[in-house]
Amino acid sequence: MKKIAKAKLQDLWRHLSEEAALYLPAGSDGVVDFARWQEDLAVDLGELNVCVPPKKFFYPQTETVLKYEIGDDLQLVDFSGHAGERAILFGVRPCDVASFSMMDKVYLGDPADEAYRRRRENTCVIALGCQEPEETCFCLTFDIDPGKAPGADILATDTGEEVVLVAQSPKGEELLATLNGLLLEATSGDEIKVKDAQEQAKEGYVTHVSVRGLMEKLDGMFTDAYWNRLYRRCIACGTCTYLCPTCHCFDLQEYATGNCGERIRCWDTCMAADFTQMAGGHNPRPTQKERVRQRFMHKLNYFPRQHGGEYACVGCGRCVRKCPVNLDILEVIREVGGAADGQ
Amino acid sequence: MRAASEKMRQVAAEALAEQQVTAVLGWRKKDFWWQSPVAFVETAAAAEQLTFDPFSVYNPVKYLLEEDSARAKIGVFVKGCDSRAVNRLLQDKRLERERVLLFGLPCSGKADPAKIRAAFPAKKIQEVVFEGEELVVLLTDGEERAPASDFLLEKCLTCRHPNPVVYDQLLWEQVPVRAGVDERRFARVKKVGQKEPEERYAYWANQLGRCIRCFACRNVCPACNCRSCVFDQAEPRWLGKANDMADTLNYHIIRAFHVAGRCFECGECERICPSGIPLQEINRRLIMDIDKYFGPYEAGLDPGDSPPLGTYRGEDPAGFDES
Amino acid sequence: MSVTQEGFEPLIVAFCCNWCSYAGADLAGTSRLSYPPNVRVIRVPCSGRVNPSFIVRAFQRGADGVLVAGCHPGDCHYHSGNYHARRRFTVLKQLLEYLGIEPERFQVRWISGSEGAKFASVMDDLTENVRKLGPNRKLRDAR
Repeated sequence: MKKIAKAKLQDLWRHLSEEAALYLPAGSDGVVDFARWQEDLAVDLGELNVCVPPKKFFYPQTETVLKYEIGDDLQLVDFSGHAGERAILFGVRPCDVASFSMMDKVYLGDPADEAYRRRRENTCVIALGCQEPEETCFCLTFDIDPGKAPGADILATDTGEEVVLVAQSPKGEELLATLNGLLLEATSGDEIKVKDAQEQAKEGYVTHVSVRGLMEKLDGMFTDAYWNRLYRRCIACGTCTYLCPTCHCFDLQEYATGNCGERIRCWDTCMAADFTQMAGGHNPRPTQKERVRQRFMHKLNYFPRQHGGEYACVGCGRCVRKCPVNLDILEVIREVGGAADGQ
Repeated sequence: MRAASEKMRQVAAEALAEQQVTAVLGWRKKDFWWQSPVAFVETAAAAEQLTFDPFSVYNPVKYLLEEDSARAKIGVFVKGCDSRAVNRLLQDKRLERERVLLFGLPCSGKADPAKIRAAFPAKKIQEVVFEGEELVVLLTDGEERAPASDFLLEKCLTCRHPNPVVYDQLLWEQVPVRAGVDERRFARVKKVGQKEPEERYAYWANQLGRCIRCFACRNVCPACNCRSCVFDQAEPRWLGKANDMADTLNYHIIRAFHVAGRCFECGECERICPSGIPLQEINRRLIMDIDKYFGPYEAGLDPGDSPPLGTYRGEDPAGFDES
Repeated sequence: MSVTQEGFEPLIVAFCCNWCSYAGADLAGTSRLSYPPNVRVIRVPCSGRVNPSFIVRAFQRGADGVLVAGCHPGDCHYHSGNYHARRRFTVLKQLLEYLGIEPERFQVRWISGSEGAKFASVMDDLTENVRKLGPNRKLRDAR
């Protein structure tokens, strides 16, 4: 267990930025997002949910898959091997860290996605434990502890004037070892402060819902009339899907002219009409009702069924705050069958 | 404010019970104090859920495009901005006037949850209402009052038409236009316009660089009502899917252009942008230019008038060197 | 166009209306008036046919400068096409400048079928002005 004074964090970041590309939450025009560290970056560690979740570091919004040129023969360059600059993410919240392991189930399955795998391997995740939840936080529902982040390489905890750092993986240990000059040894007093902070973090939730039995209940609800009512106000934008830490669907598109081209992979949203549009004109999800149903069935039934009951939601609350029509997963959990935990 | 909700419930229940309409669009409350989603009310009993509060912002009018055209008639509650959306759809020939029964709601502005959260402990808030010129915040441990004008949405601070411009029934007394709206209307646009060109580009690249191509701005906009949108077209593909800066600029330039002369400044695009991009600063610049060269003109007031980019005058000036 | 040893050669796309400005371009040619080879002419029936998307797309696809040339107001072969174009491109030109695109890059001119010399001189000026500005980076597609 190591620690550093908050006043010295700039030194830490400066040092880390020499090791790898360092990204932390920073504010600009009132919006906080992960940005590349530089001396005058307006770092903001107070915001709980950055606007665009850090999934973008492993699952970027746009990436080149391959480039080709057709001359006498076909020359093709596979770009998956270009992925994976050495990177450090500082200040990732436990909900977003949990989303990484969830995405791993999709992208590191068999066959593993090479570009994703390289990014995961070459990125060191430094989590920052939360201190107090927002109205819209409900990570506890999914057994995510706001003070801990088991999937992170290093866990940072704010203990007042200092930040305590604990390595949780070989990659984390390796990184901390390079910081010996900057870090102090934590004391047993610090250990107590961390435990207190972690206990404290679980207080103050105002949103209590349970997903016990929800997956099972949804098994029989594909043709339920509930979806006929729910979808009505959805305007089919991509806000929920793009800002959701666990959404991971993509499209493949080509930019081609003459005899050369580039294939890219980019985010796609199941809310859009053309998401399941097929050549020939058929669309198995013809109206917004099918699309909205699909989103919530995927998160709360299909994914858990395929992955041992793990729900594809981390309770971050982004969809609750950002959906223009206030249609969010909390509503579905409450209305379909989650009961209040009565904590 | 509670009187307003009650009046709405009464009017809606009546219209439904008498079968004047088959559904009524209004607002209801949901889990959090700042959530007032659109309500689709189809029975007189269900009218009880209708609530008008500082967060009943979302414009219900665009849903009329989806409503089953076989329905006899739909009732809609419309504030000033919402009512201009009706004229927009009428003028764009996307709606027939006989299909809607409009309940007009004069509105002095809606509240910005972000401003309220910045001033009050959000987790203790139970309810927020307007009482006259005051914002009343009911907390779990008491009540706070503050001037309502300090907590209004940006778009409401520049609202020139707080009273519905088209309606069948006006539910309460009209309200005055807020002082200073004309001065504030183009203030931000002028500020950006004063920057040096390279600074301007840097400003827009920074703001629009946050665009995640969710298309919420397009989907919420009543002026964006084409049956088939150019940005969805795959053959030819006018807008690529990669969110490269030039293509993002392409999207915003062309969308602004497609709504030029038709945008009535409801401000929903900017309000709902998840990335906080000041989109009204683009649309309002076009309105300012149209007023300067061909105007003055305000969209959504008269469905029978001629939108500026759909007409011309022989003596029009040009914003470029005509020599 | 590419940056050569000598310097940068801009690529200019000119949308010319069939009845006036394209005829003017033709006249420049038959009169043996020279104008820069940087210009690529795209013939359209009328300046009113030019969609703002064409302008933006031209820039995205590599144009460093774009011109829309039409009949003088009052002389449009289709009577009102260029009147619509005048309004449209007034708005577009202001918008592009507002977003920080250099004003010299996008030009609109009225060139009649008998103004071969004007066509050549407009092309000369536009090419030179854009050459001084350098390549269009702001609206150029990355891929």
